[in-house]
Amino acid sequence: MQRLNQLQRRVREAIMAADADGTEVCAASETVNATHGLSSPEHLRIYRRAVTGTFTRALGQLYPVTMRLLGREFFDGMASRYMRITPSHSPDLAEYGSSFAEFIEGFEPAAGLPYLPDVARLEWAWHSAFSAADETALNIDGLGEVPESDRDRLVFALPASAALLASQYPVHRIWQVNQDEWTGPEEVDLDEGAARLIVWRRGYDMRIDPLQDNEWSLLSDLTGNVPMRVLSNKFPDMATLLPHCVEHGWIAGFQLAESTD
Amino acid sequence: MSETADVRIRGAGIGLRSQHHQEIIARQPAVPWLEVLSENYYAAGGTALANLEQIRNLYPITLHGVGMSLGSTDPLNFDYLARLKSLADRFEPEWLSDHLAWISVGGEYVHDLLPLPYTQEALDHVVARIDQVQDFLGRRILIENPSTYLSYRDAEMSEWEFVREVAESSDCDILFDVNNAYVNASNHGFAATNYLDALPAARVREIHLAGFAQYDNYLFDTHGERVHPPVWELYQLTIERIGPVPTLIEWDTDIPDLEVLVAEAEKAQTALEAHSCSA
Repeated sequence: MQRLNQLQRRVREAIMAADADGTEVCAASETVNATHGLSSPEHLRIYRRAVTGTFTRALGQLYPVTMRLLGREFFDGMASRYMRITPSHSPDLAEYGSSFAEFIEGFEPAAGLPYLPDVARLEWAWHSAFSAADETALNIDGLGEVPESDRDRLVFALPASAALLASQYPVHRIWQVNQDEWTGPEEVDLDEGAARLIVWRRGYDMRIDPLQDNEWSLLSDLTGNVPMRVLSNKFPDMATLLPHCVEHGWIAGFQLAESTD
Repeated sequence: MSETADVRIRGAGIGLRSQHHQEIIARQPAVPWLEVLSENYYAAGGTALANLEQIRNLYPITLHGVGMSLGSTDPLNFDYLARLKSLADRFEPEWLSDHLAWISVGGEYVHDLLPLPYTQEALDHVVARIDQVQDFLGRRILIENPSTYLSYRDAEMSEWEFVREVAESSDCDILFDVNNAYVNASNHGFAATNYLDALPAARVREIHLAGFAQYDNYLFDTHGERVHPPVWELYQLTIERIGPVPTLIEWDTDIPDLEVLVAEAEKAQTALEAHSCSA
């Protein structure tokens, strides 16, 4: 198996290496036949092009607004840089690309669009929510039956699909005006202000809801499993804030934490 | 041919693509079966799975994947196989298939089907892997001959011999992709009919048909257009040799309207029926 392993490593390196004419392609070429009209390196480059296409297409489908903001050619160039330094560790291509926003942050040619990383974060949250587990055991309905004596031990959960996202830019507006079905004005004032969002799925309905500061703070705490005992001290308006968040669907379930007394 | 009365997959089906989910549920086009791409349904939840749940009640299905990396020298990915198994438990496909290729090494996936060198070493390796996979899944799988754009200098046998030996030694079945055989024959300079002489007919349980693209110096398996005339000719020869095997129209890029897929499947269906009558 050693020979086979060595061959596979050489071929993979030839396909993934940054330089199409580099030493990696030369090394692997020694194992590959030339045919009528195609040299050994050219055979390997067919796979280089195919693989680049597969990754950039997958990223383009996952980050359509990012692509629209940059234009197809620029996006493909950026995506092909990303895929050469970011290996995929799963046979499921849908799991690829979670670190794209961080990559964009350091990608100098895109620095002119400072909101781009947050747009990409929003798109990843959307992608994740789209395929997240269905809420089958919505147990929030039983909340009213929790006895008063146990209320301090309540710990709440956001929907399995939910992600919270904060940006100093109006990324929700940027996202909206770049949807195919958007017919309104396409200008977004970057000074419009920060965005605090929850990206989630209600049933099969995808949602991006803007959050007020107190909603954001509460939901952020909930992702850290902060119990009610702490929350009620922190949020003086808890009696209305909690039912309000439940009503919107941002809180999907609860459980009782072990008593710490 | 292992034709028994309880086989639900017969005739010419089409590959299920998410663009067509709603239309298939609403219109229920007259195709006998659908092939589902396993990797499109590994999500924990969401609309794709919900749609498949409905579609599965309307059509018999098969599962076709690209993720097994059967030829890789990495350890088998049992996390992937477990997900595949639970998908199969839930949707009860007639069978599962993947490719005689590798897509990963050193834990890194290139997401393209790379060819194996046709050597005894690779043969022994991939046979042992298929054994393991079949044990784990508790069922026989189908392996498909991939389209290839390179061949290795140290090959010790032809690709059709390799496919046959793998199937016989691991006791797996074969998904014969007629288009891939045509593309490879053209790219590597052999007669595609070599495949027909070599394949053990009883193991060929499914045929794939798709369209390729003609580039400067080679054919590329795009799955992006109608089946080409010479591929239809090779298909005709194939079913004459190995029988009216269930046939699938694959389309993965520039996916057209559902009617186009259905029309291509009808064409294959006509060929299958003509063969059944004359046999």
